[in-house]
Amino acid sequence: MAELTIVRPSAFKQFRVLLGKELRQEFRTREMLTSMGIYALLVLVIFGAALSQAAQGFDILQVSGGLIWALIVFTSLLGLNRSFSSEKEEAALEGILLMPMDRSLIFLSKATSNLIFLLLVELISLPLFYFFFLTISSPAPSFWMASLPLLVGSIGIAGVGTLLATITSNARGKDVLLALLFIPIIYPLLHAVVAATTVVVVGGDNLVGTFATSLALAGGYDVVMLALSWFLYEFVISN
Amino acid sequence: MRERTIFDSLAWMALLLGALLSTAGFVLAFTTAPMVKGVDLQVFAQIGGVHVDYQLLFSQKIFYFHMPVAITSFIALLFTAIYSIIFLVKKDPKYDLRARIATEIALVFVLMTMASGMLWERYEWGVWWTWEPRLTTYFILTLMVIAYFILRRALDDPERRATYAAVFGVIAAVNAPISFLITRIIPTRTHPVIFRTDSGLPPDMLLPLLLSMFGILMVAFGIYRFRLREQRLRLQLEDLKAQLED
Amino acid sequence: MDPILSEIYQTVLGAAPYVIIAYALMWMILLVYVLIMVFSLKKTEKQMAALTEELRLRQKG
Repeated sequence: MAELTIVRPSAFKQFRVLLGKELRQEFRTREMLTSMGIYALLVLVIFGAALSQAAQGFDILQVSGGLIWALIVFTSLLGLNRSFSSEKEEAALEGILLMPMDRSLIFLSKATSNLIFLLLVELISLPLFYFFFLTISSPAPSFWMASLPLLVGSIGIAGVGTLLATITSNARGKDVLLALLFIPIIYPLLHAVVAATTVVVVGGDNLVGTFATSLALAGGYDVVMLALSWFLYEFVISN
Repeated sequence: MRERTIFDSLAWMALLLGALLSTAGFVLAFTTAPMVKGVDLQVFAQIGGVHVDYQLLFSQKIFYFHMPVAITSFIALLFTAIYSIIFLVKKDPKYDLRARIATEIALVFVLMTMASGMLWERYEWGVWWTWEPRLTTYFILTLMVIAYFILRRALDDPERRATYAAVFGVIAAVNAPISFLITRIIPTRTHPVIFRTDSGLPPDMLLPLLLSMFGILMVAFGIYRFRLREQRLRLQLEDLKAQLED
Repeated sequence: MDPILSEIYQTVLGAAPYVIIAYALMWMILLVYVLIMVFSLKKTEKQMAALTEELRLRQKG
């Protein structure tokens, strides 16, 4: 009689399978990416209208860091709200929960896929932002360093956002509720990354100091909040 | 029927003593506590045998209650987090009730802090609002506490409501100090307001501050116990109603 | 009034309304919460008494 061996796949492998499922699902329909992209474009149009009456010599660089993050927060809210709608409609989460695996892997794969989608949208919308608003002004040569706070900020947004989106996906009036939970929680991170982004776009003296401090604080926020979300996700998902 | 614990009888005493202590603190703050030094003047006068060559700041009197109230609100939020964690571990609904009431107390005291803080700041800084670290943190705190209650209302299943509220309570309580830290450490580029004085208390005004500190903490504890009793009674009522319907 | 004294006390009068309003607001917020609590406690206690009575009557009859 042949011996039947059951090999339990490693955690990393489970994570890869889950993440692959998320990505495949999205890239098949591209539903979330298109809606996020279009939404980002429309936010840019609103920025255009909002800034249309600013004086000629108005220094857009001073506010560009803030505008970029406003764009990212609004777009990510839309994406996070959508990221659980398919699970709700097809009851896919229940299926995943039946599998004997570490629940925090679900959080990790969800957060990673949300991060990937957010970064993809940023990859499209930020050059557009540059094209629409920054071509007439001259950002400091250090502006490419903004990619660092963008990455750190997006990680935090995706991590905390995934936990909060899971919570609100079961609630009534979930769209507004997610914004209400998400924005106050994300505020400190936003404060830090806006400072880091602005300082590299504007340039000037004391650049390195402010940049390093705010980036370190944003990183610290990421570590604390991601650990907390990871730990708490178990309670959220099993309820 | 649940037996009455020692805390229930303590509640009345705490409330009474708290009211007395904070009243004493209030009276002392306006009578014996000296006024804080303001701007140095080129001239001087003798007031009650004391050489005074600075402006006297009356607005600082707000701090005798503002600071205790602010600390109480933080402590209440800390209890939200503690009871939330206990709930998540034990899954006993009584801890959810405690966490909810602690958050209610936090909301009341956060609102009190905001109200008194904004009036002080309107006089001393000349603006109703500025994105200053303490103000920003308290604003975020208010939003989180309100969000906590809206989240509760948006969930129907009691167990799920309790769990999600507990998770959010823990995150909110961790987020508040982080928010303060980050807004404080990162320097702002713009300084639109003129700071006439910095806040804070010199040590010789400690007595009224301590009195109101303990007084308000006791009042908060008393209110918490009463609210707990009331909510428990309401739960019993629901039970009885359900029994009658059977 | 002595000009020097009025210099020294310059901010006292100006700040007084703010201090008074600040304390008034604080007490008011606390009072509103306590009142809501007391009224709802009274209401619950009343309902409780009525219900207990009802239960007792039912068990008898």
